[in-house]
Amino acid sequence: MTDIKIVDARGLSCPQPVVLTKLALEANASVKTIVDNQTALENVKRLADKFGCDINVESQEGGIYEIQITRGADFDKNQDFSTSCGTGAATSGLFVVVFAENKMGRGNDELGAVLIKAFLHTVAGQAKKPDVMIFYNTGVKLTVQGSDVLDDLKQLESEGVQILVCGTCLNYFEIKDKLAVGIVSNMYDIVETMSSAGRLLAP
Amino acid sequence: MKDKKSYEVILFKAVSYALKAEKILKKEGLPHKLIPVPKHISSDCGVCIRFEPEIKSKIEAALFNKVDVEEIRTLEN
Repeated sequence: MTDIKIVDARGLSCPQPVVLTKLALEANASVKTIVDNQTALENVKRLADKFGCDINVESQEGGIYEIQITRGADFDKNQDFSTSCGTGAATSGLFVVVFAENKMGRGNDELGAVLIKAFLHTVAGQAKKPDVMIFYNTGVKLTVQGSDVLDDLKQLESEGVQILVCGTCLNYFEIKDKLAVGIVSNMYDIVETMSSAGRLLAP
Repeated sequence: MKDKKSYEVILFKAVSYALKAEKILKKEGLPHKLIPVPKHISSDCGVCIRFEPEIKSKIEAALFNKVDVEEIRTLEN
């Protein structure tokens, strides 16, 4: 066997081990990818299977896997392969729900008010809770005294959901002193949270 | 979940009836909650009004002859 291209993917997270392995396979008949976790191992194995390569996995100490991959005869580098990470929805990053209005959807406000109540009731009953919920513009009205959804929001907060309420907005509507759930937040935290979201839901 | 106790729900023929009922109950100060119709009752995207069984008679009296109620059901938890 000729030269073996070594891909050291230790310390890298999905999709990098797969991407690097695929690049190496395009240029080399034989590749050895080294990974340090089970997920990366499975992902690289999936890639090798998909491209019809022979693989041989050696398990080393400390959770290190050396994956020996040899290109098959009908290797086609242009074959489609999704380097998606995890299964289903994004598994990394925050699950964030954004309330830009005190209603759900546009068109009819009365209906929108009904829908947002039903939405929050359902979110509060779901097993997979958001990590963070952000309220701005008229959305902040959901978080103050007299809001019909306070019970649901308080329940979510008690279960560890972080509730960020736009301070500028509370100020604009002159309801800052009526805030009943969550913490007064600012554009820095809001932008940072939205930017680091793995999933961003906007009812 | 917090919903360990049993509840009653009022089902309506249309969303507008639920809204009307909600307004009346709010005015009367009767505790209630507008929730999506539980999936096992209907898969339609409907809303209903949930309340605690103890105030059933008060709720019924408040809505009597004012709102067309389709059914009042007990929710099993």
